[in-house]
Amino acid sequence: MHQQIKAQIDRVVSSGAVYADARWYPVEEANHLTMWNGNLKHASASRESGMGVRVLHQGAWGFSASSDMNNLTGLFDKALDNARTAAERVTFPIRLAEKDAVQASFSSPNQIDPFTIPYGEKVGFLKEMDQLLDQPGVTQRIVRLTFMRKQILYFDSEGSEIEKNIIEVFPSLGVMGMDADGAAHERTFRPSRLGDTRGWETIDQTLFTREGERIVRELNQVLKAEPCPKEDRSVILLPGIMFLQTHETIGHALELDRILGYELAFAGGSFVTLGDFGNLRYGSEKLTARANATVTNSPGSFGYDDDGVPAQDNLLIDKGILVGAITGRQMVEEANATARKPIFQGSSGANRATAFYRVPIERMTNINIDPGTDGTLEDIIKNTEKGIVLDGDKSWSIGSNREQFHFATEIGWLVEEGEITQVVKNATYKGDTLKFYNALSAVGDESTWELKYVDNCGKGQPSQIMQLGHGIPVCRFDDVRIGE
Amino acid sequence: MNEKMLTTLQELRKFALNKGITAEFFFHEEDSALMRFANSAISLNTNEHLLRLEITAYEDQKRASFSMITNLDAVEDMKQGVLQAAEIVKHAQPLSYQPTIPVYQETIIEDFAFDPDLAGISNSEKLDYFNQAVDGLESDQIKLGGIYSSGKNVIAMMNTQSEHAQAFTTSDAQITMVLSHKTLKWEVIDEQSAQKKADLDPAPLHRQLSYLLGHYQNDPAEQVPLGEYDIVFGPAATAELVNTMNWIGFNGGMMKRGYSFLTEEHLGQQVLGETFTLVDDPSRRETFPFSRDMMGVRREPFTLFDKGVFRAFTWNQDDADEYGAQPTGHDVMHKSLVVGAGDEPINTLEELVNAPREKDVLYIPFIHYMNFVNPSKGLITGSSRFGALLLKQDGSVVVPYNVRLTQSLLDIFGEKVAWMSDGQVAYNTSSSYGARNPTALVVPNFVYVKDLAISHANSSY
Ligand SMILES: [Zn+2]
Repeated sequence: MHQQIKAQIDRVVSSGAVYADARWYPVEEANHLTMWNGNLKHASASRESGMGVRVLHQGAWGFSASSDMNNLTGLFDKALDNARTAAERVTFPIRLAEKDAVQASFSSPNQIDPFTIPYGEKVGFLKEMDQLLDQPGVTQRIVRLTFMRKQILYFDSEGSEIEKNIIEVFPSLGVMGMDADGAAHERTFRPSRLGDTRGWETIDQTLFTREGERIVRELNQVLKAEPCPKEDRSVILLPGIMFLQTHETIGHALELDRILGYELAFAGGSFVTLGDFGNLRYGSEKLTARANATVTNSPGSFGYDDDGVPAQDNLLIDKGILVGAITGRQMVEEANATARKPIFQGSSGANRATAFYRVPIERMTNINIDPGTDGTLEDIIKNTEKGIVLDGDKSWSIGSNREQFHFATEIGWLVEEGEITQVVKNATYKGDTLKFYNALSAVGDESTWELKYVDNCGKGQPSQIMQLGHGIPVCRFDDVRIGE
Repeated sequence: MNEKMLTTLQELRKFALNKGITAEFFFHEEDSALMRFANSAISLNTNEHLLRLEITAYEDQKRASFSMITNLDAVEDMKQGVLQAAEIVKHAQPLSYQPTIPVYQETIIEDFAFDPDLAGISNSEKLDYFNQAVDGLESDQIKLGGIYSSGKNVIAMMNTQSEHAQAFTTSDAQITMVLSHKTLKWEVIDEQSAQKKADLDPAPLHRQLSYLLGHYQNDPAEQVPLGEYDIVFGPAATAELVNTMNWIGFNGGMMKRGYSFLTEEHLGQQVLGETFTLVDDPSRRETFPFSRDMMGVRREPFTLFDKGVFRAFTWNQDDADEYGAQPTGHDVMHKSLVVGAGDEPINTLEELVNAPREKDVLYIPFIHYMNFVNPSKGLITGSSRFGALLLKQDGSVVVPYNVRLTQSLLDIFGEKVAWMSDGQVAYNTSSSYGARNPTALVVPNFVYVKDLAISHANSSY
């Protein structure tokens, strides 16, 4: 098959294409298990294979995909034909930033392949967790396990040949209960990536037992709690909500395709402009953010992106100043040409596709915030006069240019003069992105830093779901409106 | 309908029966094409032909499934899939209830909603359509974006309980056109939904986009002061708001699990305003309906709200089995939600803008990034986008910077509704989120709601 794919790439290039690549997925497997109130509602497995072909012709992309490997010529021809039509409406002829051709492979680190674990053992884990969560106050209990395994072979007309073998494990626990007014509240647990690997061994029974007991306890506190007040306070975001704040208002805002207007008709744009790089004060001096695809244990680390560019660790925001973006080969060329100066030194290696039948687009890797110097969570609480500690992502809604946001959290703890005084329910906060990050007044140290994963980031048309990570410390922001 | 798909179903059924496996087989075939525009260029021109097979195996009260992307020549592979599903079900844990497997009484093969001319529309025809719809409207600053999504969709199902099959073939197109200002970053939008090629017409899009551009390029823009406004929702906003009730409203299973703002006590009660009637009406062709649900139940019009009185929850089979309810024919990939028309003869944006008004009115065509803040209270939040207008009391028009609404559906569709248009439109809410599933709601052109608070107002575009 390797030789056939390479021959097809050569053929379309000799038919006039300036570049072509192919991603062949010999196999992609997933396994989803959901136990809901003791019922194994979903026990499913899936398998798919196929190829996606991308052809650049006269400054325009054509893409085609098929699960049928018996007609490679037809598949490559269709991609070239799609490019020919696209070439009739070109405004900036696409060109690709330089890269080195590589012959390489990447395997995600894991000790135990979850697909080798018998179903009985997986269902046993769900059952045990379900029983653990079956406590007074809990009306709904949801235990999920998702496993993914994929093999991707990448070839391009510049001579790159890359094989990737990636395994992911996504477990979660959730409980829900009703308060005296008949309103539902929930508490969830998705483990942070603690070790160096990402296989079945990350499902640590002791940890899940402890955290399961915690979310039941906290849910019961929320059920009896007063509503969150509507006022301005300092908000102390634990990694369980700060990861999503970072995702939505740093990550998505710094995708270069959004900045250049390529998502304006759907997902939206960004308040960031090309002139902002190196100048914009995005946040206070305490804010340093980076896109680090070299973290070992995260779904945001994949070795090489779908342009064949190696994983990198790049600064996005340096002590509050915007310095970088999430980029692929195409967009950096257009950005530099539009700005008439080299803002970006090549691709940052963040162009990824969710499946063989989708085209790669700029996606977050691990969008992390560096730990700060403001001590532990306890230290930050002690130094807060009037605040609220927030955790758990209940709902999120963000302006189309990522300029403003509204988040609802699962739980809030009011802080008065350095002490936690009470739990509140229906906690929410909102703000304007730049004003918010400039009000960042404390960043927790290494002890507060956790690597969270996102397994369902949606973007693009046709829609793509991507897996990625966020390494996040506890952060405090001042004068934030809560309770709306 | 592809004969080979039906014979493959028969073959899989025979194979399962021979192995003593109780199973359902569900094919989903899509031939999808998408031309995507951005910055006035075709940023992506893609197509995909995918055949998915989902096999669900049953053993007493146990259930498990295996799905694969495959092709019709790979029958041996599919049979391996059947064995896989049967293997997983052995290790599954029994449900607390007996899941129902449908027994199809007759074979249903339906393709009245399929138009080969639309499904096979060529690249150049799509490009021509876009070029006509924005003829003369683009410039150095005004850039075209959007999608032309079209394709063919086949679903076919059979199980070991009977020899009958159900198969439905549809074609569809969803067109979204956006004109955006390169540096100011505002956007205006218009959309079209089609089931047949004859439904396509670029002229109305051109008219609407020209009209909106006129306002966005010539009228003053401002930050909207916080406070209460009369708000007129356009079709996209109304469709999105009504669609949320699928999740946190009238879905029986979600209600039982506590995710709904409706409870059994609300049945027969005046929950929403008297102007609000909502029917799941599969006789409306524009909603891409099938005549049967996946349990083989004939789809009939089903009233959800009658003049604001809540009439019924929808129940799919699995939730009905679990909670001891009667299924209502709602094992469907999408419902056919139709909001009843009102009696106000205002149906175009121009008519709305020119209508006399007693106070400032905010027109919100589109709600971006809506989410549920508190499902039990029907509380949602989202921002305006794509061509909102502030219609001033004095007759002038201002372009408002985007605003955020954090409101309960009980208020939005409650007593505060002043009027709805007497004309309706099909609004396409399809998303190619894994498998093509053309979906549209029929809604009044405008819904006018009094005194809704704006919770946040942007200070620039
Ligand atoms: Zn995302």
